[in-house]
Amino acid sequence: MSEASDTTLRLERLIASPPEILFALWTKPAHLLRWWAPEGYEPLVDCLEPTPGGRWRIIMRRADGGELATSGIYRIVEPPRRLAFTWAWEDASGVRGHESEVMVSFEPAPGGTRLVLMQSRFESSQARDNHRNGWSAALDRQTGIAG
Amino acid sequence: MPAARAPHLDGLFGALADPTRRAIVERLLVEGELSVGDVAAPFAISGPAITRHLQVLEQAGLIERRVERQWRFVRARADALAPAEGWLSRQRRHWTAALDRLEAFAAAQTPRRKKS
Repeated sequence: MSEASDTTLRLERLIASPPEILFALWTKPAHLLRWWAPEGYEPLVDCLEPTPGGRWRIIMRRADGGELATSGIYRIVEPPRRLAFTWAWEDASGVRGHESEVMVSFEPAPGGTRLVLMQSRFESSQARDNHRNGWSAALDRQTGIAG
Repeated sequence: MPAARAPHLDGLFGALADPTRRAIVERLLVEGELSVGDVAAPFAISGPAITRHLQVLEQAGLIERRVERQWRFVRARADALAPAEGWLSRQRRHWTAALDRLEAFAAAQTPRRKKS
């Protein structure tokens, strides 16, 4: 209840495939479309630029025509080991909501690859960087503005 | 599916995105109500900085304040982290299902190893 890890989601899986194949599943549109959307949704890649600073945006379309999009910016792209990007759901008018950070790593392991997905729920990369750097004057200013 | 716009979540996670403020919340969750002076004691930062952190935590709904005569007290709100936990649980469901599909497709992509 009172750990810093409470603000981070961590999922770990051992998958019987090499890191290269898994990395491609996240970064090649045709591959990503095969698993991204839940049943009942048709995924459409609006853009997928897996390079640091590149954008990504994926739309999920329901049978009734309703759409739901997620989008963000790639932070780290290190094939085939590491991928980090910002993440936010968009509302019906395309406004991005609460932004978090997703980090996926692909480590070779006996029998395949250990995939670790971490999603930290900080509101912005600035908050994330401030957190990493510890308490700082920049944060003080930021909280001053926010407060 | 998670709702997109969530100003309350922004405030909550923004408040938790700072190590000093997390330390304050963690301590209040364990120790209950503390005076503002006791909250500030472990930190080598100024009184105004602590006050500002407490304002951010209060606006995020994480703590509540009480004044008794000249003393000021703060405590964690019992349901403070519930919205964050709800968000986390929705994300977990989303990614767990997505990784199930990814795993199934990865298996179809990966050549079976020959038995030796």
